[in-house]
Amino acid sequence: MKKKISHKIRLGIFVSLGILIFILAIYFIGEKQQLFRSTFRLSGVFKDVAGLQVGNNVRLSGINVGTIDNVSIISDTSVRVIILVDEHTRKFIKKDAVASIGSEGLMGNKALIISPGTGGKKIIENDDVIATSQPTNIDDILKSLKTTIDNTAGITGDLAKITTNIESGKGTIGRLMMDPTWRQDLQSTIINLKDGSVGFKTFMVKTNELDSILIRLNKTIDNTSSITYDLSKITNNIQSGEGMIGKLLMDQSMGQNLDSTLINLKNSLAEFEIFMKKAQDSWLLGF
Amino acid sequence: MAKIVSQQVYSENKQVEVIMEESPEIVPDSIFKKFFLEVASLTIFTLRFFKEVIKPPYEINELMKQSFLIGYKSLPLVAITGFIIGLVLTIQSRPTLAKFGSESLLPAMVAVSIIREIGPVITALIFAGKVGSGIGAELASMNVTEQIDAMQVSDNNPFKYLVVTRILSATFMLPLLVIFADGVGLMGSFVGVNIKGNVSAYLFFSQIFQSLEFGDLFPAVIKTFFFGFAIGLIATYKGYYSNKGTEGVGKAANSAVVLGSLMVFIIDMIAVQVTSVLQN
Repeated sequence: MKKKISHKIRLGIFVSLGILIFILAIYFIGEKQQLFRSTFRLSGVFKDVAGLQVGNNVRLSGINVGTIDNVSIISDTSVRVIILVDEHTRKFIKKDAVASIGSEGLMGNKALIISPGTGGKKIIENDDVIATSQPTNIDDILKSLKTTIDNTAGITGDLAKITTNIESGKGTIGRLMMDPTWRQDLQSTIINLKDGSVGFKTFMVKTNELDSILIRLNKTIDNTSSITYDLSKITNNIQSGEGMIGKLLMDQSMGQNLDSTLINLKNSLAEFEIFMKKAQDSWLLGF
Repeated sequence: MAKIVSQQVYSENKQVEVIMEESPEIVPDSIFKKFFLEVASLTIFTLRFFKEVIKPPYEINELMKQSFLIGYKSLPLVAITGFIIGLVLTIQSRPTLAKFGSESLLPAMVAVSIIREIGPVITALIFAGKVGSGIGAELASMNVTEQIDAMQVSDNNPFKYLVVTRILSATFMLPLLVIFADGVGLMGSFVGVNIKGNVSAYLFFSQIFQSLEFGDLFPAVIKTFFFGFAIGLIATYKGYYSNKGTEGVGKAANSAVVLGSLMVFIIDMIAVQVTSVLQN
């Protein structure tokens, strides 16, 4: 009897645990789908929902805040999407919020992405119709990709031609790469250029020295110029008979005067010599 | 085919009519005839089960006992299998996902695989092997030793006592075992993820529940009731109508496992079709 009861207890634990795990699984899955949270409804009208399905996530700033409740066609050009969003996030979604369709990773499910809107606007209300932006169509991307691929094919064809020409030594680059004489010429040119650059460098150093010489020369020329200017002025003065030397050189009367002065001086000196001789001979002044 | 005959027996000086059943004795010459006879017999057996399950008295104690033996006693085997399956599936899936650079999808992928398909089917197969063979052999040996006949004579309803309780236990215990197997399998997967990586338990299980939907859980659990019912029904049928003789016991146990496992796959296929139709 005791054994029977123990079996029943163990069976009871087994069944209870099993049911508990099942309920927990339901709770956690339901939690993800916002079943046990208060939500509010929004809707948006798209031209193309790009495979968005009921149950897909709704994201606000990259966080899952809700799920898609319903997707239905309302006309041949528009699809209405009903969204259930967590009540706690209502304050972050403004009236001018925009919904777009994105995807969860490269191969993931589609998701509805809400951009919150601008700060100054009113908070969104129940059953509001949110503005939408059309998703990027994969077909459009593929079309533009095809054009790119076509262009790339043309470019690679041209590149192939160029490489063939280069390989066969045609054209300047081809010769340069494939013709050994061109290569040697280029090499020698480079060596010459190198030598030339060394010479140029030395020249430049010397030029620096020359610069200082030139500066000094320039100064000398300046000085010479001012000297010649002065000299020209002096000569002009002399020529015009101005000044002592001018008068001396150019004024005839002055020359005559000087001449007579010199004669007088000569005479005076002769007389003075006589006087001095007499003075020597006198007893009073004799020395 | 089961042959039902009425016999007049005398018990305590009272004339009582007892329905006696005999195992199929007519051996049909064609394989098709044999197959259709078997189908007819199984259908009658199933209808009788539904009739007996409603009709009182209810064998609650025997039901509890069978539930303990079928459910509780199978738990270690099912748990070990589930753990290994979760671990192996994770380790095997990792290189393929790593090629695409999407190892972070590993918990989600393993969870969906275990919950939707691998957990229920593997557990049902293990269950068919352990419980189906057990029930088949037990009832067949009771049949061989004429215990079933004795029960009929002593005014007990062997069908209600032996068949109904076992089928009900199998039907209700297998879903519970599958839930345990799924849970342990996910733990095995967690160990598998952490062998080559470093993922916290919180992140692992939150990723799992992010990837799961009710559409994954409910059909998977509901189909296990059908698995359990089919395994119990076939095992009891094979045991109840086994051939007389020791050879019949082995044959009953063997065909209970083989047919039970086959039925699991057939039901699984139907369940997938029904689920996909309902989800679209």
